[in-house]
Amino acid sequence: MADSDEEYVGDVTDDEDDLQVTRKDRVTTRKKKQRGGAEWELARTWETLVEGADGTISSTVEGLLEAGKRKRLLKDTTPLQRGIIRHLILALDLSQSMSEKDLRPTRYLLTLRYAQDFVREFFEQNPISQLGVIGLRDGLAIRVSDMSGNPTEHIEAIQSLRTHDPKGLPSLQNGLEMARGALFHTPSHGTREVLIIFGSLLSSDPGDIHQTINTLINDKVRVRIVGLAAQVAICRELCTKTNGGDETAYGVALHEQHFRDLMLDVTTPPASYSQKESASSLLMMGFPSRTVESSPSLCACHSKPSRGGYLCSRCGSKVCSLPAECPSCSLTLILSTHLARSYHHLFPLMNWVEVPWREAVRSKACFACGLPFPTGPPEDQAQTVENPTKGMSASSRYECTACQNHFCIDCDLFAHEVVHNCPGCQSKSIPSVNEVGNPDGMDITV
Amino acid sequence: MDTIDASEHYELGTTEIAPSLLTVIIDTNPHAWATIEDALPFSKAVANILVFINAHLACNYANEVAVVASHLQKAAWLYPVSHHSQKPADRDGDVVMNGDSNGPQTSKYRSFRLIEEQVNRSLKDLLDSTSNDDFRSNTSTMLAGSLTLALSNINRRTIAWAEEHGGTKPDEVAGDGGGLATANGSAAVEDDRSLQSRILIVSVSGSSDSAHQYIPMMNSIFACQRLRIPIDVCKLSGDAVFLQQACDATKGVYMSLSEPRGFLQYLMMGFLPDQRSRRHLVLPTRIDVDFRAACFCHRRVVDIGFVCSICLSIFCEPPAGNECLTCGSPLDAGNLGGKTGSSSEKEEEEEEDPPSKWWFGGWDANVGACDSDSRALNIIILDLFNEGWNLH
Amino acid sequence: MAASMSRPLEYLESLPGTTFKKLYQQPSTALAIFRRMLPDLAKCFVMAMLYLKDPLPTSDLEKWVRSDSKRQRDNALSILGRLHILSTTLTDNNVRACMVNDPFASSLRQALMGSDDAQSFGVLSQTSNESTITVADLDEYARRQWEGVLGYMVGTSGLGQRDINLSKGVKQLLQAGHLVEIRNHHVDITKDGFGFVLQDVNTQVWHILILYVESAQAIGMDSVEVLSFLFLLSSLELGQSYDKKGMTSVQLRTLTDLADFGIVYQESPDATRFYPTRLATTLTSDSNALSTPASGSLNGPGQPGIPGTGFIIIETNYRLYAYTSSPLQISLISLFTNLKYRFPNLVTGKITRMSVRRAIDKGITADQIISYLLTHAHPQLRKHNAGQATSSSSTMPISVLPPTVTDQIRLWQLERDRLKATPGFLFKDFSSLADYQTPCEYARDIGVLVWKSDRKRMFFVSRHEEVVAFLKSRS
Repeated sequence: MADSDEEYVGDVTDDEDDLQVTRKDRVTTRKKKQRGGAEWELARTWETLVEGADGTISSTVEGLLEAGKRKRLLKDTTPLQRGIIRHLILALDLSQSMSEKDLRPTRYLLTLRYAQDFVREFFEQNPISQLGVIGLRDGLAIRVSDMSGNPTEHIEAIQSLRTHDPKGLPSLQNGLEMARGALFHTPSHGTREVLIIFGSLLSSDPGDIHQTINTLINDKVRVRIVGLAAQVAICRELCTKTNGGDETAYGVALHEQHFRDLMLDVTTPPASYSQKESASSLLMMGFPSRTVESSPSLCACHSKPSRGGYLCSRCGSKVCSLPAECPSCSLTLILSTHLARSYHHLFPLMNWVEVPWREAVRSKACFACGLPFPTGPPEDQAQTVENPTKGMSASSRYECTACQNHFCIDCDLFAHEVVHNCPGCQSKSIPSVNEVGNPDGMDITV
Repeated sequence: MDTIDASEHYELGTTEIAPSLLTVIIDTNPHAWATIEDALPFSKAVANILVFINAHLACNYANEVAVVASHLQKAAWLYPVSHHSQKPADRDGDVVMNGDSNGPQTSKYRSFRLIEEQVNRSLKDLLDSTSNDDFRSNTSTMLAGSLTLALSNINRRTIAWAEEHGGTKPDEVAGDGGGLATANGSAAVEDDRSLQSRILIVSVSGSSDSAHQYIPMMNSIFACQRLRIPIDVCKLSGDAVFLQQACDATKGVYMSLSEPRGFLQYLMMGFLPDQRSRRHLVLPTRIDVDFRAACFCHRRVVDIGFVCSICLSIFCEPPAGNECLTCGSPLDAGNLGGKTGSSSEKEEEEEEDPPSKWWFGGWDANVGACDSDSRALNIIILDLFNEGWNLH
Repeated sequence: MAASMSRPLEYLESLPGTTFKKLYQQPSTALAIFRRMLPDLAKCFVMAMLYLKDPLPTSDLEKWVRSDSKRQRDNALSILGRLHILSTTLTDNNVRACMVNDPFASSLRQALMGSDDAQSFGVLSQTSNESTITVADLDEYARRQWEGVLGYMVGTSGLGQRDINLSKGVKQLLQAGHLVEIRNHHVDITKDGFGFVLQDVNTQVWHILILYVESAQAIGMDSVEVLSFLFLLSSLELGQSYDKKGMTSVQLRTLTDLADFGIVYQESPDATRFYPTRLATTLTSDSNALSTPASGSLNGPGQPGIPGTGFIIIETNYRLYAYTSSPLQISLISLFTNLKYRFPNLVTGKITRMSVRRAIDKGITADQIISYLLTHAHPQLRKHNAGQATSSSSTMPISVLPPTVTDQIRLWQLERDRLKATPGFLFKDFSSLADYQTPCEYARDIGVLVWKSDRKRMFFVSRHEEVVAFLKSRS
């Protein structure tokens, strides 16, 4: 806040920077392949600015902002098969290199904070998956929390790390071996993954790490690493090999925001490679309802008296918490709301398309929120103002191709990122959707 | 003695109390209303809801309200009505308001009156636009659509409010909060400073009606959960599985009215307090929640289902050809939890006779009419509250 | 909310019970008091009981509120009692129960549902609008008049900016309220006056209106009638004109006086209709909702009518930038700032120890300075600090102003303020510890406890009526 003159245009430039940085990333990775990464990256931010008719650049800047918003949306939305029951070990570097202050407040504290966000987001995206946390310090791997499906357990364990200081050197090999041990017994229909947050530039290992890599490949464990300092050759090799040659599994954080993005990317369920790798199976599950009794009774899982609980849908035994396996009839009991959390991955909302001016006359306001749209330019200028920036609609309208309603950019974002429903499609009945018994009649369009 | 402590300078901030936005979703399914017509006719229910809306507006000058109808074939805005869909009504609407304002209407606070008129008018338009075909072909209601519309509007208002007042944007809050994060102290402070939104669903349709909207419903519910928007449900007849889950997930109030005639009193006591007041109140909510899900193949509501391990689709019976209907992966049906039990199906599709005549032919929601008998029921209502209190 | 609400609340409380009966006859008054004067919880209580036929047993009410919110409950009930809205009775089977008193309950019900009484929310003017007055016009008028009043007090009219004809009545009113003193034909602002000008507009208007009601009694107008007319005004619609037909002479006279303040607008004193301005229509909103639109309209000619426009940016190094050209605002800022440069739409300066001390010497408090800065904070400042707070530390609540500055201003004040006087009542000589503790806790719960000493068994309260009643009910 030293100089106010710069401070208060800050918002615009910040966003612009973000835009540039992410663009730069892509450029970087591409260039690295071509020229071995020895290229100075130049972000020519000024070249994207074009003066508007009134001689200012405000319209372009706004366009860039809007395009930036939309960029996040324009991703592949074809329904993918995703191995959603995941088993993941989060390995945190707790060595002395984490006390560096290049990420604020320190690498260590920031990592712990993002790790908590990661756990939350992970269970949001992968509701019935399992997660475990380990730490690397003093050349050892330490167990922070065991494999479980309860996010609060992990968050508490990570929070308790705050009181410790990072020290010693990390050992990748020990960490990987411990992770492999934890993932060894997981069922075959799930994925096995390790995510390492690695702040050091070295690994002090007791043996040959290449052997460990080979056993990991045999056990179908995929390793992803987020580096905090610089690229390390062994990390790159580790990620490439365990991910079948995919280099994107290794990323080095440029700044705080990028670090967070890299970490949260991992929460998206990965595409499964082929049918064979993970044999799919049909699981029978019960969706018990919660009951409250007037007098306490014993629960079947811990034999403790309690008033509230869930009754198994098949045999009626009472369990205290979900998800659980019924102790008497071994039916998997789960909250249906947990499953439903992930359905927007199954039936993603289609991307909406930009509306050119000539079709824009159909609507005057956003269908969902009633925000009035700008009226079109006169006919003769219509050509010149078309599409100033890619991904952004000149008429500020976005159309859902299924229901052909027009929406504003905010509703577009909101519908795709938060609700995952199209307000238009949901608001009128489409007869084919309502036919009972139609095999794929779940409205895939929504 | 005044001392400086760290918390003091934040108190000024919390004195700025944000207004709240109430979105009422009225289930206008005529089939369902017909079943409770004796106890609570539709027009009276609307009149009661309007009084309730007035009460909400009376609580704070800046409070806002939105009303969505969840009808047979579509979900539609009742208030506010955007210009493009309501051109004629809106244009001469203003003129009419100035014109006939010399009647008894002036005895009403103007903003109350504007909303009442608008709701009544758009409700009438909605009912007029319902064709007999729609009426016969549909028995359900577009609850998921109206929830989505309501959420879009909440999103718009929250952004607008944040821009005006420099508060936090909704996506920032959502990014921080996550669905599993419990509201802690700082979240509560933050909530005080951004627009407080909540949704009230006045529902009459049964749950089997909405099973085909299972996924969109759930998506909306999770959106509410992320944005910390409580969904309150006032159930006038029947019981709805998914709405129970909605209340449970968003920590809203769920009341199933045994005596619909006391509707207004239920609304006033149970649903009027906003999030800030709710921190101090014990509100009747559902403790036993029905967590059944709808299967993807036949849209039955099931309590035991078969789940595809790839995509987590739920089926009520192993799909034909051992292939997942959603993601197409071949399924190994061996692991069915030991025994093969047939899925029990509790909700039977009831074939109900359509009401013989167009039951709400000419009605007018007269707000003044709901006064006397809705006050006579306090004993029943207090019993219900007592029940809720004792459970806690 | 507290600051702007307390004054009208205090005034109303001082009225006798019969006055309330008369006041609550009007639906608009009931609505305004309900909306404006009650805390959230009290609103819930009133609404829950409004449509109950029988009184609600107190035990049920207690069950309804969470056990850890007992304080808020007692506070709410106490305010409801003081405003004569709620009363406790004994039902047939000797259960203590409370209910909403009748003139209030029926008026509020009328407000919610409408009634036959055509007068209760004003009569829209029927005459066709050839000369339409837009909302912007009204805002401009209100701004000019109100700034004129403030300018008169601060003495900026000497800057030769404009001539607002302040009527004699206005000047007398300001003098009667001890906001200004006239010494040798020279207007001098008092300590109260300094506090007054720094408050947000809503509080100022209430302050003036209460002075007005008080003085109305002196010149033979019925204060109840004036008061309920004010509440009626607050429920009118901005931008609409209302008919003067059917108004009593007292109301007409009030209207003329209020026009001087910019609270209502009429083309001429004997026009047949009047327009309420934003100052009137937002009287019963909460302070936040108002501070933005009305202060936006009062900001100065630079950006009239844009809601939510603050203009002050303050940095952690105590530098202050104010994007305004209004001489009134500039002179207000100069009360506690050393101004340095002045540009066509911007003044800059620095808050120093000396400048704050100078302000405090004049009777301005640190809280007033801070709340003034907060009310007029630039949207960028709000946005920036809000954004920073979420990104850096999510555990700390957001503060719009830099905490260093607010703390320092308070510290500067503390350097001088070593004693604080609170008028009130001392309770002492309790025979046992239990006798002492219960009323003491009760006093704390209803928020009147100022000081206590467990060792000496005495406590000090700011108001005693309820504590006395409590003690009596126990003995």
